[in-house]
Amino acid sequence: MKSPGEDTTMGISVALDGDTRQAAAARVAEEHELVRKSQAGNRLAFEELVRRYDRDVLRLAMNLVHRAEDARDIYQESFLRVYRNLDRFRFECSFYTWLYRIVTNVGLDHLRRRTSHREDQAPVPEEAEGGTRDFFDRQPELSAASNPEKTLLGQEVGEKIRGAMKRLSPRERIVFEMKHYQGMRLRAIGEMLGTSEETVKNSLFRATKKLRASLDGIR
Amino acid sequence: MNLRQSGDENTMSRPCREFEPLLVLLASGEELDAASHENLTAHLAGCADCSAELGRERELLALLSEHTSEPDAGLLASCRANLEDALDREEEGSWWRRVVGAVVPASWLSPPPAWSAALLVLIGFSVGLFGPRLLRHPTSPASFVISNSADANASGVNANAPASSAPSSLAPASSALSALDLHTADVAGINVFPSGSDEPPQVQLQMRTQQPVTVQGTVDDDNVKNVLCYILQNNDRFGPDVRLNAADLLRARHNDPEVRSVLCHAVRSDRNAAVRLKALEALNGADPGDIMRQTLLDALVDDQNPGVRMEAINELRGMAAKGELASDDDHLLSVLRNRMQSDSSNYIRLQSAAAIRDLSGR
Repeated sequence: MKSPGEDTTMGISVALDGDTRQAAAARVAEEHELVRKSQAGNRLAFEELVRRYDRDVLRLAMNLVHRAEDARDIYQESFLRVYRNLDRFRFECSFYTWLYRIVTNVGLDHLRRRTSHREDQAPVPEEAEGGTRDFFDRQPELSAASNPEKTLLGQEVGEKIRGAMKRLSPRERIVFEMKHYQGMRLRAIGEMLGTSEETVKNSLFRATKKLRASLDGIR
Repeated sequence: MNLRQSGDENTMSRPCREFEPLLVLLASGEELDAASHENLTAHLAGCADCSAELGRERELLALLSEHTSEPDAGLLASCRANLEDALDREEEGSWWRRVVGAVVPASWLSPPPAWSAALLVLIGFSVGLFGPRLLRHPTSPASFVISNSADANASGVNANAPASSAPSSLAPASSALSALDLHTADVAGINVFPSGSDEPPQVQLQMRTQQPVTVQGTVDDDNVKNVLCYILQNNDRFGPDVRLNAADLLRARHNDPEVRSVLCHAVRSDRNAAVRLKALEALNGADPGDIMRQTLLDALVDDQNPGVRMEAINELRGMAAKGELASDDDHLLSVLRNRMQSDSSNYIRLQSAAAIRDLSGR
């Protein structure tokens, strides 16, 4: 059934929106301009580029390492690498793809270093005024009248999930995070990791199987 | 939330092995190709085990989604502040790189240490060998400014732009530039100074020949136009930044047949996708003609960069909407059908279909 604003040509439904087309082209042109200005040394332009993507980068980092300090390191290292290598960006791909190649490399390096240092595996409570605060304790309360039992159960499940994620290899973890938490297509993930879509699919499949094996008892 | 006993795992059904990977992809929202989607849908209609497995996959992903970490505003703010400090330190430490970069190309600054050392030895040897010869040549420190504007307004956007300078009155612009051998000249930089009114911006082209030369004027000046066209026609000699600026500036004269031809050439042959895209954008709105139409079709079919193909289909749709394309153009329709069926970009496939509809509606 045809819906308002939709047309069908040659059996393909076409959602007509001239504004979307123009807006998309304008965004691409604007981003190209920011990149060129950044390459020319314009610091404000570079900071504008950072602000477009840094929340997503930090979210990916947080979900990879689950520690604010480590996520901060990944964030800083990634954007410093972008800043230092910006003159090598030749517009052969989108800036987003190029940025995420750097972020995934930094994230993978971080995860690999952590797996070779077993003492980093356990969450390290951070000192704060009045006592220690775990990572999950720092998450904002979802409601003013929080249910302690529900909160505790949520923390237990969260701990089990973190444990299950640690059993993934660094590559499986990055692929799973980018697929499910960043919403990226497998082909785009492959471009960012410098590998084929088929390899990414296999990583996702293995990651899912491992997580199912660890978490199937939780409902 | 209840925790089930792990022993229940033994009673769970197992999915069909050949469909397991597809179930994972379907649950994760990945698009399956048409054949796999049809095959899996048909299978799920008759296989309770696989249907149950799909449900469990979706439950798992829903559970994981509930426990994602969203960065709080305080952490994000502190990351940004730390990054600003780090960038300040980077800038302070880079002055020596700029000094070296003025002598050595930027791409040579990041080789392995052994290559850097070898390069420095080579530079030192070359200076020692050729320096005395260069010092014996008569030098002329003055730089020549060829300008057609009496009021060069230098309040431009480029932070490195020279201070406002009254143009030196030397030989008239046209004869001085005709004597300029573009084949041996190099364009060191392009500065653009907005006029602050409806007048076209002032363009300053800093060139190096045997002596430094600056060509200054608006893009309406044929001298400026000729140099900008030369830059785009010789893309192996000039960097992408210079070519980008050249394409952008030539937009103002895209109805000039020579400029249009040069921009079309850049769309077809520049090796940098951003320059090809900029040249396409510069052609937008130009008088339609066979060369424009063919350039857009070639870009739509041949360009490897999806951004360039998107711009090409956008411009073709614009031309079709304005009635500037013939509805009985078999080659055009053939290209659009091909793109509609086989382009890797969903956007281009949809826009190609819409363009066909626009044309068939007339």
